[in-house]
Amino acid sequence: MDFWQEIFIALRRNKLRTFLTGLAISWGIFILIVLLAAGNGLMTAVTDEFSSRSTNTYTLYGGFTSKPYKGHNENRWIHFTDKDIRLLENNFPHVEQVSPRINTSGNAIYNDRLNPISLNGVRPVFAKTNGVEMIMGRFIDELDEKNNEKVVVIDQTTQEQLFDFEEDPIGKLIFVNNIAYKVIGVWEGNPNSGGGEAYMPFSTLKKITNQNDYFMLNFTTYDLDTKEANEAFETYLRTQLANLHEFDPTDESSIYISSTMLNYLETNKILNTLQVFIWIIGIAMLISGIVGVSNIMRITVKERTNEIGIRKAIGAKSRSILASIVVESMIITTLFGYIGMWLGMVVADLSGNIISKAQEGNMVTINIVPSIDISIVLMATALLIVCGVLAGFFPARNAVKIKPIEAMNYR
Amino acid sequence: MIRLENINKTYFGAQPLHVLKGINLNVEDGEMVSIMGASGSGKSTLLNILGILDNYDTGDYYLNDKLVKDLTENQAAEMRNQLIGFIFQSFNLIPFKTAMENVALPLYYQNVNRKKRNQLALEYLERFGLKEWADHYPNELSGGQKQRVSMARALVTQPKIILADEPTGALDSKTSAEVMQILREVNQSGITMVIVTHERGIALRTNKIIHLKDGVIESIETNNPDQIDFNQEIK
Repeated sequence: MDFWQEIFIALRRNKLRTFLTGLAISWGIFILIVLLAAGNGLMTAVTDEFSSRSTNTYTLYGGFTSKPYKGHNENRWIHFTDKDIRLLENNFPHVEQVSPRINTSGNAIYNDRLNPISLNGVRPVFAKTNGVEMIMGRFIDELDEKNNEKVVVIDQTTQEQLFDFEEDPIGKLIFVNNIAYKVIGVWEGNPNSGGGEAYMPFSTLKKITNQNDYFMLNFTTYDLDTKEANEAFETYLRTQLANLHEFDPTDESSIYISSTMLNYLETNKILNTLQVFIWIIGIAMLISGIVGVSNIMRITVKERTNEIGIRKAIGAKSRSILASIVVESMIITTLFGYIGMWLGMVVADLSGNIISKAQEGNMVTINIVPSIDISIVLMATALLIVCGVLAGFFPARNAVKIKPIEAMNYR
Repeated sequence: MIRLENINKTYFGAQPLHVLKGINLNVEDGEMVSIMGASGSGKSTLLNILGILDNYDTGDYYLNDKLVKDLTENQAAEMRNQLIGFIFQSFNLIPFKTAMENVALPLYYQNVNRKKRNQLALEYLERFGLKEWADHYPNELSGGQKQRVSMARALVTQPKIILADEPTGALDSKTSAEVMQILREVNQSGITMVIVTHERGIALRTNKIIHLKDGVIESIETNNPDQIDFNQEIK
């Protein structure tokens, strides 16, 4: 009880010293947390940007042959049919669902309003392969596909043109080329086109337009994580398709194969580097925080050498002086460390909100929202506190070792 | 009270310095002794050894009939706390503590409870006419007042011996006389007193003047302070 009273008197009477020591500690922890949060935010932003796209999407385009092969002339157009879909889905263990793409265009009509629309027949997997972000309602599902449902997913531009602001478009019927389609969902739209891109079940559009040739196939793969696996897959794919369509497997222009996987691997490499970089910055910050805190503790103790000498001369034991200095520095570092941590988190949170608000309504956004793992915050704070206390302990131990007379005369 | 037998002390630096060269000295219970000498004569070192603030190399030092040798830091601290009161030239008060708290501090290290501590501290301050200044900080006090606070602090534990290192060094002649008057009264209450000084006027107010030169005791002069008017200023 007396011990604590002594300490609180010392802290209260030395307000400036207490405050300056505390400020150094608060500032160190504050900066550390804000920086880690910013780094983390950048990391999250970049990761989000890439994860909205499927990571392993293949796109196949039909091309023109450049060599004669097995009695066929060169310059023959290769196009995909249901046979290709069956081949891909049955013979390739790594391939998930295949979505072909066919399209037709016209005007979408709702009540007295009209807007040009491009109807794309796709299968449900398309949402995944092309990263279709829904705003309301749902995307096409297997049942729509199976039952040739006349349903449509419109984009935001179309919704704004056809419907009133408050009107719920879901379940409403719109007309395209005299056929009624029920709106089941709205997606955010492609910012790079003028808008009007809509999706409907592949089976339905195929039946309506009677198309059997598909210029493009999309599919996702799984378990193809490495560059080597993807290259092997691509070679096998080319041979199989060459066999089916009877073109020279070495003829690169017959079909075009593009994979997001290799892009993704490349991006991943950058992300990993970025992560390492952020950690290095974080650790460097932590170290400079420790140095700062340690230094101020060291100076504080140095400043008290006289006092330590006096206390020893009048009969204080080294242990009791040491205990009071260590407890004092513990109180200061913990209290101000907590304040710095709290402020850092508040600032990280507030700036996160402000950035989110500022980005609202932008078509292309990279949201660098500062955010931070609470366990990292606590660990960093605890580490700084421990270092602060240790940094106070060692010079204090040296100071109590000095002979009282020298300590008293210390300037 | 104090018995020194052939005390030697050398400071080992770049140039080893033999400061005390076989000091033999007796100070009886209740005596008032002064140690005089030029700077570098070893008088401060001697006082530090007497106060167990510093250790010595060879010889024996008996304080209150106990051999003070090879003490651990804690033992030394305990002895200082129990037996010795210090008065310093520069007062050595803790700046962020009030006069009362400064006086009460040695009692804190004797584990006396707070109420008792403050009560005793106030009593001693009253004895030195500083009761109204109890709640003032050292920087609000005059030099004489500060020295009186430090005397109260030295006495509050009822030590057997007071060691004063140039107690009037930072004071004007009038205040010096006052301080010496108080020390005299303290001595007359039965407390042994050793004062280090380089002022003859101060030394003449003690019973025995020990002249120290180059680490040896040159002479011991017996003196009768009663012929001195203690109210007279020290020049």
